[in-house]
Amino acid sequence: MKKVALFVMIAALICQVATASAQEPVKGGHLVVCSQAEPPGLDPTANTAAAIDRVVYSNIFEGLIKLDGQGRFVPALAERWEVSGDGLTYTFHLRKGVRFHNGEAFDAKVARWNLERAMGEKTQNPHPEYFRGIARIETPDDHTLVLTLKEPDGLFLVHMAEGDAVMLPVGAAEEAKSRPIGTGPFKFVQWVRGDRVEVERFDGYWNPRLPYLERVTFKFIPDSSAQAAALKAGDIHVIGYQANPETALELSKDKRYKVYNGTTTTEVILSTNNKAKPFDDIRVRQAMAYAIDRKRLVDLAVQGFGTPIGSHWCPSAPYYVDLTGLYPYNPDKALQLLKEAGYPNGFDAVIKLPVTYEYARRSGEVIADMLSKVGIRLRIEVIEWAQWLDRVFKNKDYQLTVIGHAEPWDINIYAKPDYYFQYDSPRFREAYARALKASTEEDKARYFGTCQRIIAEDAVNGFLFSLSSLPIMKAEVMGWWENYPTIALDCSEVWLKR
Amino acid sequence: MGAFLLRRLIGLLLMLFLASAAVFAVLFVLPGDPAQVVLGVNATPETLANVRERLGLDRPPWVQYAHWLLGLLQGHTGRSIQYDLPVLELIAERMAVTGPLAVMAIFIAVLLSVPVGIYAARHHNRPGDLAVMGLTQLGLAVPEFWLGILLMMLLAVRLGWFASGGFPGWSVDFWGSLKALLLPAAALGVIRAAILTRITRSSMLDVLREDYVRTARAKGLGERAVIYGHGLRNALIPVVTILGLQVGQLLAGAIIMENVFYLPGLGRLVFQAIGQRDLPVVREVVLFMAAMVIFVNFLVDMAYARLDPRIRDPKA
Repeated sequence: MKKVALFVMIAALICQVATASAQEPVKGGHLVVCSQAEPPGLDPTANTAAAIDRVVYSNIFEGLIKLDGQGRFVPALAERWEVSGDGLTYTFHLRKGVRFHNGEAFDAKVARWNLERAMGEKTQNPHPEYFRGIARIETPDDHTLVLTLKEPDGLFLVHMAEGDAVMLPVGAAEEAKSRPIGTGPFKFVQWVRGDRVEVERFDGYWNPRLPYLERVTFKFIPDSSAQAAALKAGDIHVIGYQANPETALELSKDKRYKVYNGTTTTEVILSTNNKAKPFDDIRVRQAMAYAIDRKRLVDLAVQGFGTPIGSHWCPSAPYYVDLTGLYPYNPDKALQLLKEAGYPNGFDAVIKLPVTYEYARRSGEVIADMLSKVGIRLRIEVIEWAQWLDRVFKNKDYQLTVIGHAEPWDINIYAKPDYYFQYDSPRFREAYARALKASTEEDKARYFGTCQRIIAEDAVNGFLFSLSSLPIMKAEVMGWWENYPTIALDCSEVWLKR
Repeated sequence: MGAFLLRRLIGLLLMLFLASAAVFAVLFVLPGDPAQVVLGVNATPETLANVRERLGLDRPPWVQYAHWLLGLLQGHTGRSIQYDLPVLELIAERMAVTGPLAVMAIFIAVLLSVPVGIYAARHHNRPGDLAVMGLTQLGLAVPEFWLGILLMMLLAVRLGWFASGGFPGWSVDFWGSLKALLLPAAALGVIRAAILTRITRSSMLDVLREDYVRTARAKGLGERAVIYGHGLRNALIPVVTILGLQVGQLLAGAIIMENVFYLPGLGRLVFQAIGQRDLPVVREVVLFMAAMVIFVNFLVDMAYARLDPRIRDPKA
């Protein structure tokens, strides 16, 4: 018996050693990543398009800090930072010896130029408000950057880790759209428009250990069946994010591939025009919340690759409060609420679905079926994305729609009464303002929790599910992010097993 | 001939002018704000206004149209909003894919359809002819994108002989680029061949019943000389007409095929540009495509003249 135990122990030890050596990153190799949408330019400080960050974030460009795959804020161009007790002063200690891909040095003056550009009057930055809370920028020496805010901003660090806050070399903003120069582990090689962006290892990267890969190609394949074919034919290594759920299901059974069912920051919601009849009545919105079986919706619309949510907050993000139990699936309750609201026989409404997003289209179809069970008859209108932006988002010419909100920390949209939900709640705005000003973690948790609860109780939108990250890759791809705490396809620590 | 050319040239310019007005008007009434598409949903109104101003979208539509048209006349094409490059450069880049793709597709279509059509006509109502008719019926019924997907599944995914799509670029890998176009060109060409085979066959059948063919046979010419010397040339006129019309369809078909095989061609450029409301690109690519179709029709007219001396010189 003892012998057997010893044998097992030795075997286990050998296995451990074997796996450890197998996990040792190998340098070199050319990774081909499929990103669905081609980016509109490559400058993340001029455009919020997710497709840009998916190519450049932490690959070509870096900010003072960055988010890693576990959602932690980790040092990038700032080695470390301190926040004063009153939450007003941020001191960033910048890394020494950092160079841009063109050889120019990165220092406090460069950082200052970038911040001032984002705040300036002629800014093309989609989020100047991230930076306009800065009252003063000081650069006591080349490697120290002191920012003083006008008032505490609980999300300031979050924003400094986003693509909007990456650092460009002085004067290179115009070029960044087509020939980006950053400080990241990869430098830009070429952009074959309509096909791919190629980057290669930057030998002067401040972290001599990284990157592992010699070259990365981002290929743009919008069609999900073409993506699957490309992966199977060996033309690409990774479908970067949100692969087709059926493909994911099929390939998860195949040992040659890996499918990650991780988290994202995308909340898929049944956006509701809170000023359009009959959705201005909270009872109608609550009835819809009761009438939607979220678990079943996730199964039907995305093959189970999603997590039901009860408010506009992702389960993987800090300060999350599980509110999925607030309106459990209960069609009888929905019928009763509709009756109280004066719709004993239900009503007709239109749901506009963007053709671009498969999950949104399918969710809309499933919801139309679920709501029909309580007498809400939806007519489905499928529209293209630019029209969605114009008619639904800008002109609020809609009753219902389904869309995923991908931006992290975006509950602030409920504090804007003219946002397309047209939700106007002083109570929410107050809670949100408090959350932003909170300086301790407990206070942040409390107030962000209150924010989530208020919009859930008001049933502002149908809170459906959070999308799974769903990248699919060949088995030899190592170090790929499982969870997507921010919008990125960070290849800095990815390597290819041989 | 000179007057004929001049007339055609004026007609061509007029048509292009009409096309420019039509595409501008359609894009203007189509809902969608390029600045919003570029900046995304969370952009502030201030940044939106800045970008609109930079793109010149804050000016009245007729000013924008006049500005565009005058620019074109002076040889200034627009600048892509998405790519921030001159549209002309983009068109040139993309034509390096779509042009060869279309030429290869036509080549495959003609190479398949003319011999097979002649064969079917010569074996009229015999098993060979019936088989050809059956196959072409199938070809007419099958959508080209479906054939493209089938070819991809079989030859790329299953057998691994071809890449499933994409385009390495002529300067990077010439043979690889040629190979990348082969499957989509085959899918486009085979479907085109179906209709062309039928036209060749029926046209050939008509010609073979003509008196001059009987005369040729009566004077003792061999079958080859009758078919190729007297029959084919006359039978080709309707084939060339259809072929000319097919070029326009081919550009439309290329849009779908380029999406199936994710080729960076003109079709995908315009498809994407419409979705992104990259107005300068849409306008000028559509105009370019219109010019191409008009130009091909002009070539078809020239080809008639070459095939039929009576068109070239009415007195003959």
